[in-house]
Amino acid sequence: MITDLRNLIAAEWLKLSRRPLSWVLLGVFLGLMLLYLATWALVVMLHTGALIGGNTRFEVLSPAQIVELQRQLSVPGIFGAVLGQVNSTGGICAIILAAGFLGSDYTWGTLRVLLTRAPHRGAYLLAKLITLQIGILVTILIALLIGALFALVCSSTLGIPSHLRPGDLLALPVGVLRSLYIILPYVMLTLASAAFGRSALAGVGGGLIFLALDVSAGSLNTIGVVSPLVRWLVNLLLQPNINTLVVLNSQLFGLDQSVLLSSLDLGLLPSPLHATLVIAAYSGFFFWGAYRLLLRRDVVGAY
Amino acid sequence: MTAAIVTESLTKRYGARVAVDQLSLSVDHGEIFGLLGPNGAGKTTTITMLLGLVRPSAGRAIVLGHEVGVSPSPFLRRVGAMIETPALYPYLSGYDNLRVLARAGGIAEVRINAVLPMVGMADRARDKAGTYSQGMRQRLAIAAALLPTPELIILDEPTNGLDPAGTVEIRDLIRELAADGRTILLCSHLLHEVEQLCGRVAILKEGRLIAQGTVNELLCRDSGIRLHVEGDQDRAITLLRALPWVSGVVVEGDLLLVNAPATRVAELNAYLTRNEVAVAEIGARERSLESFFLEVTGDH
Repeated sequence: MITDLRNLIAAEWLKLSRRPLSWVLLGVFLGLMLLYLATWALVVMLHTGALIGGNTRFEVLSPAQIVELQRQLSVPGIFGAVLGQVNSTGGICAIILAAGFLGSDYTWGTLRVLLTRAPHRGAYLLAKLITLQIGILVTILIALLIGALFALVCSSTLGIPSHLRPGDLLALPVGVLRSLYIILPYVMLTLASAAFGRSALAGVGGGLIFLALDVSAGSLNTIGVVSPLVRWLVNLLLQPNINTLVVLNSQLFGLDQSVLLSSLDLGLLPSPLHATLVIAAYSGFFFWGAYRLLLRRDVVGAY
Repeated sequence: MTAAIVTESLTKRYGARVAVDQLSLSVDHGEIFGLLGPNGAGKTTTITMLLGLVRPSAGRAIVLGHEVGVSPSPFLRRVGAMIETPALYPYLSGYDNLRVLARAGGIAEVRINAVLPMVGMADRARDKAGTYSQGMRQRLAIAAALLPTPELIILDEPTNGLDPAGTVEIRDLIRELAADGRTILLCSHLLHEVEQLCGRVAILKEGRLIAQGTVNELLCRDSGIRLHVEGDQDRAITLLRALPWVSGVVVEGDLLLVNAPATRVAELNAYLTRNEVAVAEIGARERSLESFFLEVTGDH
């Protein structure tokens, strides 16, 4: 079983790494991330007057918010900012990637060929998931490296000091793994949607609709003040639990999300343990759904 | 000789429609077995059930001694299959398409270099599969089927889209594989191809097995005798109908088509001569698999 899984991951990695869609999505994500960081850098430059020689300043944000932005543009805060991007725009890219990764095997009819070589459908699905997570991990590492270079540029041009301590380096693996964990339920749901609709389109549709509904449901967080029962129920939704881990990740690198997002009430968010368990439950449920769909249904030709 | 494939009342229903209806057949080790049938007869559904891709509604299939559907399916490592239209990753080269399958099946990648020349694809293997013609896709799919050095090879329309030279090459390859002792299950709508390659055939119609046997058996069955007499044709018909082993006589122009075993040509000739009927021409009525197929499937 372990050997089968290893073989399948090697096969899936070849497919993922050679697929143009993977590289397009990597480029789109890194481009959007740089755009986000550049926007914050521009805001800081406008605020401090660095852009136009210090004579004119655009003080749109409070000084505390500018300090927070400067933290996001320097090491180690930029790691938190990059991981935040991984769990926002990166999540959308991951949904598209996962949908194409499984859905295309249905659309092209290659699933049928693969299953005659590696017939264990559970191993096939697990290999897909692990390969996707490896792909996302590589993306995160590239993004962190680019983020660190961006912080160096900011340090030299804007004079924002960067300090990399050993503790920050030790925090990086924790942050990276947490980011992967945050993306997991969306990837799982996308795989289940692609298996349900037997196409990449169904995967993208299912994943993005769920993401949109889930983010909308996140706004229900504020009604948690009504009563402990309502708060408990709201905290069973995925989004508040995702928010908990995202906040933890930013705090890991000295950031305070509530400074920039006034609507975010950290006191209403579920505990880290609660968040971890709820995300695990969602992920497990979606994976089980994808597995059952793949296992029970006949695999015929191209769709 | 043990059977490579055995199906027992294998059935697949899709709602009210029965795609395969209580199919029982047996394919021996080392033979080339032809599976024939018009479109929608259930050939591909049968193959996909043999490969564990489609779950039977009833009955069972035993492939290389293993009952299909009893997970896991280790016998698939000894089976190579090409099902219907070739399925490839268009963004990968032909070589990388095979690498994916080799990796997934735990097959040494050196095997790729062995199978590519067998199907005449060594020169174009590094090109993207998305640029391949139908014939090249077909060749690559056959290479994929040969990748695991299979004991049993299932080929669904293997010469589809190939030019005449390519068709001959692939037929020769199939013969070579069979000569190596491999079992081949061949689905084809090209009846002369089946006639040339297969020892035994099964004919499906609307999911049901309507004929099975060696090509010779099927063609000799009810094949009859063709006869041309000079003189009184009506008297000849009367004489023929008097024979207990003649089940009927049909007049077709100057010819008489006698429903009688083709092995009794000499006996019939002597009988007519004895009764002073001048026989101008007599012989076994030759039939092709095509005419037999059209007759039993009712597609004429």
